[in-house]
Amino acid sequence: MLQLLKTSIFKKFVMGLTGLGLSGFVLGHMTGNLLLFKSAEAYNHYGHAITSNPIYPLISWGLIACVVLHMIMGLWLAKDNYQAKSGTYALASTSAKDSTFASKSMMYTGVLILFFITSHLYGMKYGTYYEVTYDGVEMRDLHRLILEVFQSPLNVFWYVISLVVLCIHLSHGVSSIFQSLGFNHPRYTPVIKIIGVVYAVVVAVGFISQPIYVYLVH
Amino acid sequence: MSHTLDSKVPGGDIAQKWTNYKFNSKLVNPSNKRKFSVICVGTGLAGASASATLAELGYKVKAITMHDSPRRAHSIAAQGGINAAKNYPNDGDSVYRLFYDTVKGGDFRSREANVHRLAEVSNNIIDQCVAQGVPFARDYGGLLANRSFGGAQVSRTFYARGQTGQQLLIGAYHAMMRMVGAGKIQLVPRQEMLDLVVVDGKARGVICRDLITGETVRHMADAVLICTGGYSNAYYLSTSARMSNATAAWRCYRRGAAFANPCYVQIHPTCIPVSGDHQSKLTLMSESLRNDGRVWVSKLKGDTRAPGDIPESDRDYYLERIYPSFGNLAPRDVSSRAAKRMCDEGRGVGRSGLAVYLDFKDAIARDGENVVREKYGNLFDMYHHITDENPYKMPMRIYPAVHYTMGGLWVDYNLMSTIPGLFVLGEANFSDHGANRLGASALMQGLADGYFVIPATLSNYLGSTKLEKISADHEAFSAAENDVQVRVNKLVSANGSKTVDEMHKELGKVLWERVGMGRTEAGLKEALKEIPKIREEFWSNVKIPGDSKDYNLELEKAGRVSDFLELGELMARDALIRDESCGGHFREEHQTPDGEAVRNDEKFSHAAAWFYEGEGKDPTRVEENLSFENVKLAVRSYK
Amino acid sequence: MGNHGTIQKDHSMTLNVQAWRQAGPQQKGKFETYKIDNIIPEMSFLEMLDVLNQKLIKEGLDPISFDHDCREGICGTCLMVINGDAHGPERGITTCQLHMRTFKDGDTIVIEPARAKSFPIIKDLSIDRSAFDRIVSKGGYVSINTGNPQDANALPIAKENAELAMDAAACIGCGACVAACKNASAMLFVGAKVSHFALLPQGQPERTERVLNMVEQMDAEGFGNCTNTGACEAACPKEITLENIARMNREFMKASLVKRKC
Ligand SMILES: Cc1cc2nc3c(=O)[nH]c(=O)nc-3n(C[C@H](O)[C@H](O)[C@H](O)COP(=O)(O)OP(=O)(O)OC[C@H]3O[C@@H](n4cnc5c(N)ncnc54)[C@H](O)[C@@H]3O)c2cc1C
Ligand code: HEM
Ligand code: HEM
Ligand code: SF4
Ligand code: F3S
Ligand code: FES
Repeated sequence: MLQLLKTSIFKKFVMGLTGLGLSGFVLGHMTGNLLLFKSAEAYNHYGHAITSNPIYPLISWGLIACVVLHMIMGLWLAKDNYQAKSGTYALASTSAKDSTFASKSMMYTGVLILFFITSHLYGMKYGTYYEVTYDGVEMRDLHRLILEVFQSPLNVFWYVISLVVLCIHLSHGVSSIFQSLGFNHPRYTPVIKIIGVVYAVVVAVGFISQPIYVYLVH
Repeated sequence: MSHTLDSKVPGGDIAQKWTNYKFNSKLVNPSNKRKFSVICVGTGLAGASASATLAELGYKVKAITMHDSPRRAHSIAAQGGINAAKNYPNDGDSVYRLFYDTVKGGDFRSREANVHRLAEVSNNIIDQCVAQGVPFARDYGGLLANRSFGGAQVSRTFYARGQTGQQLLIGAYHAMMRMVGAGKIQLVPRQEMLDLVVVDGKARGVICRDLITGETVRHMADAVLICTGGYSNAYYLSTSARMSNATAAWRCYRRGAAFANPCYVQIHPTCIPVSGDHQSKLTLMSESLRNDGRVWVSKLKGDTRAPGDIPESDRDYYLERIYPSFGNLAPRDVSSRAAKRMCDEGRGVGRSGLAVYLDFKDAIARDGENVVREKYGNLFDMYHHITDENPYKMPMRIYPAVHYTMGGLWVDYNLMSTIPGLFVLGEANFSDHGANRLGASALMQGLADGYFVIPATLSNYLGSTKLEKISADHEAFSAAENDVQVRVNKLVSANGSKTVDEMHKELGKVLWERVGMGRTEAGLKEALKEIPKIREEFWSNVKIPGDSKDYNLELEKAGRVSDFLELGELMARDALIRDESCGGHFREEHQTPDGEAVRNDEKFSHAAAWFYEGEGKDPTRVEENLSFENVKLAVRSYK
Repeated sequence: MGNHGTIQKDHSMTLNVQAWRQAGPQQKGKFETYKIDNIIPEMSFLEMLDVLNQKLIKEGLDPISFDHDCREGICGTCLMVINGDAHGPERGITTCQLHMRTFKDGDTIVIEPARAKSFPIIKDLSIDRSAFDRIVSKGGYVSINTGNPQDANALPIAKENAELAMDAAACIGCGACVAACKNASAMLFVGAKVSHFALLPQGQPERTERVLNMVEQMDAEGFGNCTNTGACEAACPKEITLENIARMNREFMKASLVKRKC
């Protein structure tokens, strides 16, 4: 097993699986958070429903595991890859033979996302704990927290930037999952590539709309 | 010194000779095989297949190549295909017909027994290659596809797109690398053989130069296989890969191995014409194109119209006109000379006037562009890249170019040269193609030699020969190594004013003009004066930068050119004495009124083998009589 | 330059060639600039280098070492990186198939060797690609001895599979995929070899072993990992597709799961 872990392809396979998990999560997280546009109550109920769910720790730890594995493998790949080169070329390749910016910068966008997640968790999950009661059920007032956080233009700016970075990461990442897991087909791959980009944009726009909305409206 | 040639052809009926031979030959028992070591110089089709097979049998094999990898040998460039008498298309093919076609195609200048053996094993080659995973072209039913090639009226050519040589070589390379992985073959890349070591009259090793460090290296073995390809590059411009050379074969010649029929050179009819002085090599457009392309020139002299503007009525499809039954598929020598005649008449096309058209208009109209693309796509692309002209839209321009050398080291039925223990395989030997090689049969021969012939004949030799124990300190090794170093040092110290390429081009020009498509007594005599002059100047006036203890590509080239300068003279000498026209050797004095070759069977039904007699001395010419008991001597007609 | 006649008489170019010069594997290398003229569009890129080398020799300088052989795009020897592109700017061709008509009068052309740890530089533009051979020796074959296999037509193979196998087998081992990849990954080369056999019935008996062993050797040679950037596919003169890498990934994971020994 350890042997396997060291092989190039297995590392990629782990990247793909964890990437898949994370991509699924962000879409879900984004859609769920859209309840913000409905009402504070709906938003908070949603948050409560999740955190009070018996399998929540599983999801939570699973996510953390995904991020950690993804990061470790990403950095490991980067180290191997750096060592495999013996220098860079004097000129960048021309457009006909170039690859996309997103694909070339996965490592850098990834690290930025890591910063974002750390600060995000610090500010949200482990942020100020307000309470609110609906129909006698006590729960966390995440809505209030959000409103507070996004009062600061600095925070909004940081979120928007990070989400653009996430968008770039995903615009390559989502279709890359298929390749890493061994799926490439002349009929489907071009479609998957388009879906990957759409996915990235939808997630990013969906998320970005929230801080902007809060900042402008509240 | 008197020299004799014994072809050692076994007795019996032609169809039984090889079977009888195998039954009667000495075997080496499996556990003894690993006591024998074999050096295989060259890892093209012949060398890779031989190395792999011998290693599988248990011999200790050392495979030496001057390339960086066995996968790069010149064989990789063969495009068209490989023949076999499978008769899958059910068009009347048989071992006998393949044998017959090859003897006739060779213009009755080959050894019948060898050719028959080649035809016999041809089918095994296809089986073997398919089992290795060579992706030959297939029909929709999943079975192998065939196409036809020049000089045959049946479809017996197997192919893998336009990359047959590549796929076959990769197959042999895989087989060989498997043995390298298993530790049965020691692979020695980037070393060039510069001398043969003969101990007690037997070939026992080679001296190489490590091309990266420049050191000379001794290799010792019980037998040496030379699989180093042909010498077309003597002409400077040819379709051969640029590193192809005659050095290994030539140095064996200088150690006593006879060199046979050096004047037999094949000029291929369908190559991309020369575009200027900078030209470094010529690119072949596979002969298979002639299956669907039609060759023509304008009926008018000096016609400068674009091809599209020349109406049907003004086009002369001369091959179809002169050779109605073979048409565009007339053999190579016949088609090449026809093209030359058209250009000599002033009907050549293109800017230089040294080209004819090969037109696919009708094929595209008949089968559609897609079908044509599927068959020849990569050739068309290649043409397009080189000429910047789109052959789907306008006809290709083609012209003959030096392509293959039928001559080579003389070998007997065992593929053994006149030096015991020195075997010669593939294009490096003179064996199976007589005076002209048919398309798709060099690949066949290289693989036949390597996969099927040498395993039997080598064991016969090793099983019946007493070999003394020697070490690489033997004086013969020291002497040969010293010779090599002297020669190399002489080259680097000349420090003259002409580059190797300049000198090579001079030689090439003489050979192309005088020992090329059409040869005359006067021209050959001229060549025999000119070549020694160039050679003399070479040794005193060549300029080689750098030193010998380094990766020095100019020095490598210089060594090869120095050998071409000697071989070129022998080619002219051989061509002069062979006072007849046969196959690739066309003496203008001997032709019919409409330009066909006229053989002289009474005087020249033999192979001419040349023995080296020492520096500055004339070599000795010895004849091996060729008798034709199965294929009746006849005028080769493709009309 | 030249007049505006119908036949371009003087269409020759003057170019600046900036070439990587490195005396040996251990020595430090640097760029050297040379000016050459009389380069015509019909010349191939290597013929342009020939012209330059002839000039250097005449001037008593060391010519630029570069490897080449077939000069028709099939042997895979001539890899170099031209203006940042492996095999130059055009897709689907090798350096030797690149023609000078791609360049303009006055252009500067930067030529470098492939830069990958697993391809040590021998001299100038010449590199050592024997790592590829070692990978092949670990499983890039069908283990049959020469002998009397079954008749070639006893094994029908669907035309489509035969064609796909041929697409993969068209690889010329040039190493452009490694040169172009920002990770110096050899996945396209290895993927093509694995695919060639995985697609054919002949390759089935060793399917599991082959992919495991070849990937192990690929990693041992120090090639990088693939991060799916696709530069290799764009640089490959034989247009080997990324599908082959995906197939290798799949083959590898499957093989890792089913193999019985650890
Ligand atoms: C463009 C082209 C297309 C062709 N198409 C066809 C075709 O369609 N069908 C067909 O049947 N034939 C074809 N031929 C002919 C055929 O390719 C060759 O005759 C055949 O491949 C020769 O194989 P070989 O193994 O004898 O030699 P090669 O493939 O030339 O191999 C020579 C080997 O010897 C090594 N070597 C040479 N000298 C030395 C030395 N001094 N020291 C160490 N190593 C050395 C080289 O490194 C190489 O490994 C074609 C030829 C050309 C030029
Ligand atoms: C923790 C910080 C992160 C780092 C360092 C990082 C780094 C990387 C790297 C180097 C790759 C490899 C590129 C490739 O092989 O194609 C990658 C792929 C990927 N990443 Fe990240 N990433 C991080 C976070 C994330 C997050 C949070 C997500 C999702 C929201 C994500 C989604 C993906 C996806 C989908 C892929 C493609 C996987 C594949 O190619 O199989 N990454 N990442
Ligand atoms: C505008 C954008 C976002 C908003 C408003 C938002 C909001 C929140 C809130 C309120 C929580 C706390 C949930 C809780 O503790 O119950 C949370 C948790 C979390 N968010 Fe976000 N989020 C945003 C974007 C993102 C993005 C882009 C990512 C990933 C790349 C992300 C990853 C996470 C993670 C991993 C958690 C912790 C989940 C858990 O374990 O409970 N978030 N987010
Ligand atoms: S996959 Fe393409 S680029 Fe890589 S070695 Fe093969 S032919 Fe060259
Ligand atoms: S360029 Fe490199 S990153 Fe992968 S897709 Fe090709 S090997
Ligand atoms: S020299 Fe053979 S591919 Fe370029």
